[in-house]
Amino acid sequence: MKGTLMSPRVKADEPSASPPSAPTRSTLPSFLTSGLNIRALTGADWFSALAALLLLVAVIGLMNPAFFSTTQLINVVQQSVYIALMAAGIAFLLTQGEVDLSVAGNYVLTGIVASLLIQGGMNTWLAAAIALLCAVGVGAFNALIVQGIGINSLIATLAMGWVLRGLAAAVSEGKQIIGMPVSDPFFAILGGGKVLGLPVSVWILIIVVALLTVVLRATPFGYRSREIGSNPDAAAFAGIPVNRNKTYGFLLSGGLAGLAGLLGLAFFTSGDPTSGGGFELFAVAGAVIGGNPLTGGIATIFGAAIGAILLKTVGVGLVYFSIPAVWSQFATGAIIILAVSLNGLMARRKARRKKT
Amino acid sequence: MHAFEAQDIRKSYGGVHALRGVGLAVRPGSVHALLGENGAGKSTLVKIMTGVTRPDSGVLRLDGRDVAFANTAEAAASGVAVVSQELSLFPHLSLLSNLFPMREPRKGLLIDTREMLRRAEPILEQLGVDAKPSVLVEDLSLADRQLVEIAKALVTQPRVLLLDEPTSALEGGATERLLEILRVLRSRDVGVVFVSHILQEVMSVCDEVTVLRDGEMALSADPIAHHTVPTLVKAMIGDKVVATETVARADVEDLAGSAEGVLQVTGLSLASGVHDVDLTARPGEIVGLVGLAGSGPTDVLRALAGIVRPTAGTVTLPGGRPAPKGQRAHVAAGVAYVSGDRRRYGLMLEKPIWENMVQVRSMGMARDGLVMRKASLIERAQGHVERVGIKVGSIADDVSSLSGGNQQKVVMAKWLDNAPSVLLLDDPTRGVDVGARAEIHGLLRGASNGGAVVLMCSTDLEEVVAACDRVVVFYRGRAVAELEGERITTQTMLELINTGVPEEATA
Repeated sequence: MKGTLMSPRVKADEPSASPPSAPTRSTLPSFLTSGLNIRALTGADWFSALAALLLLVAVIGLMNPAFFSTTQLINVVQQSVYIALMAAGIAFLLTQGEVDLSVAGNYVLTGIVASLLIQGGMNTWLAAAIALLCAVGVGAFNALIVQGIGINSLIATLAMGWVLRGLAAAVSEGKQIIGMPVSDPFFAILGGGKVLGLPVSVWILIIVVALLTVVLRATPFGYRSREIGSNPDAAAFAGIPVNRNKTYGFLLSGGLAGLAGLLGLAFFTSGDPTSGGGFELFAVAGAVIGGNPLTGGIATIFGAAIGAILLKTVGVGLVYFSIPAVWSQFATGAIIILAVSLNGLMARRKARRKKT
Repeated sequence: MHAFEAQDIRKSYGGVHALRGVGLAVRPGSVHALLGENGAGKSTLVKIMTGVTRPDSGVLRLDGRDVAFANTAEAAASGVAVVSQELSLFPHLSLLSNLFPMREPRKGLLIDTREMLRRAEPILEQLGVDAKPSVLVEDLSLADRQLVEIAKALVTQPRVLLLDEPTSALEGGATERLLEILRVLRSRDVGVVFVSHILQEVMSVCDEVTVLRDGEMALSADPIAHHTVPTLVKAMIGDKVVATETVARADVEDLAGSAEGVLQVTGLSLASGVHDVDLTARPGEIVGLVGLAGSGPTDVLRALAGIVRPTAGTVTLPGGRPAPKGQRAHVAAGVAYVSGDRRRYGLMLEKPIWENMVQVRSMGMARDGLVMRKASLIERAQGHVERVGIKVGSIADDVSSLSGGNQQKVVMAKWLDNAPSVLLLDDPTRGVDVGARAEIHGLLRGASNGGAVVLMCSTDLEEVVAACDRVVVFYRGRAVAELEGERITTQTMLELINTGVPEEATA
């Protein structure tokens, strides 16, 4: 890309940039002292999530060296792919001041639709394509309710999530859809395939994050998304098609939730109407922690993915800290509140520093 | 030929005629002033010329061709650009990105930042913007943001540029900076429409003037050389001058609380840049605080209301009590802060008039017990309607059904309801017509006569002349001068707020 012209935030947001290259500030707990270098604002936003992630990995690993094994680490990332994809899509909505809480339901329904079609004998790829189309259609429906009727996206998509999950439970009659042709390339490649030692699903995440980062930073759609969230009145005044742009956001979010659903199906080799519990929370919280504030205007796709991976790591880490299973949901929720609070405090501190 | 021409424009909103056949013609390379009081139709005409709204009838002509704009983007694409009063930038995006909303140059699917820079650099240089194109707009100073607004308009290579009260956001030395910008625009042969209410400024930068009054033409493209500030004022307000006389409203005297002594401010400093301000306000006088935007008066008022915390200095409320901490504690101590931004800070628009009026005392402060007796609340509110003089159908109507002036009187009433001994007013007659303005001033005088301490900020210097007994002038965060009685004139205040130095000293 055109390096000379890029603003620091653009550079900082490229997933390929290694942490030290982010024009950052002082020493170790930079996620606590961030804000010293204003020009690295966004960089600092995802940087703190990444730093927290590395710190967490180090702490878990030190307490239990078994965690440091490559297989284990790759496993964590692989398990994060689903929520990371959703978080990436949600980032495009958060920056426009909207949100999509139907992603978990969409994830579940996509898996059920695809597995039912496959069970019925349809070609796996065709079934996957149809299921994906359904997921995008859900995004369109969300957009219709939010933009067309003018319902707040928080309640509209939250209810939509229930609708989708309920639909999945109904058409599957509450049972797992099994009997998938496991040796079929769809399952063999997307579910179990590896390239250069990394699972295919992780590669897909990497490609999606890279692609969407370019979309966010270098296309009119990306510019407009950030403009809408940064100053909604000015965006409308400038003639930006606000509703159309938000609609694209919902379609993207739906499509990515569908993609996650397909990858989940390929990995678990069964459609499960009870899966994906709390994915919407993890996806939104991951996006926020990664540097996509709910107030909009700022976005980082890489950060959203990192935030999601961070939360998944917390979940895995709980096992290593031998938290009793019955307490794990409590602990996860508490940690999310803690992480989001920390994030919010830092943002406020940064804003205050800027004012003076 | 004119660069841009509007002819016989008519527009009404729900039966109210905002514009009744007005026109405006701008020559290329000239600066054309558009003047008029609040409500004269100025902003409606600007909206029509920039594609925000469409006229009911009339013709827009650009370089002699008839045009019609569906929206602002279309107007911009045709060569009509606008720099509005409210900055319309995207704070989270870089300066460069801000220059091309909806017209980003592209290379295939992607945005061509190199092309952006190529187009923007000469303009930024000409305007004297020193900031790097990559810097985020939220990190720019207010003055630089204003320049970015103008640069954003100029990258479209406009034929016409509308500057809608541009100096309100420019800091000290505003006029010189503005003259420099206008020189750039003239050299580019742009036709400039200049909307402002600082008449001195209009006199010094414009070539021609069009004045609107009550939606009609009062002056049409007169050379500015034929005019002086008084003749312009006369054109703007016509024969209504009598209605601007302030008559103290005795009805409200016993509504306002009586201050036991002076309000004393000593060495007040604020994070916003206000530095070491001393101030005394006595009961029975109305004190005006004036200065350019960002120079301090509004910040001081907000500090007195407990909204912002001072970094240094003390505020002593009447009666010798030190000011408490926090906004609510101030209200409880008898401080009222009336904002001109009534939609945002003053009113619950979709609630009945009576409920708005009793909000501070009965709900906010819970001074009438835990159980609300609707009948007695309505009765009290009805009393206020008469005392304050609000023209209202039913007190059960929503506030949104009232005119701007009457809405503002509701805001006044709800604060007077709490019997404040200190009344702080921030631009209290913003967007209010002349008649209602005089009536609101009458309310202030009434409260003041009743023994309240009254402090007022206003961006309208004529208002300060009309309403205040004493004026404190701010310049770059400091209180630099104090005027009293006959010395309170628009001329003196303009001089002081722009230079910080009184006339005699510069002469």
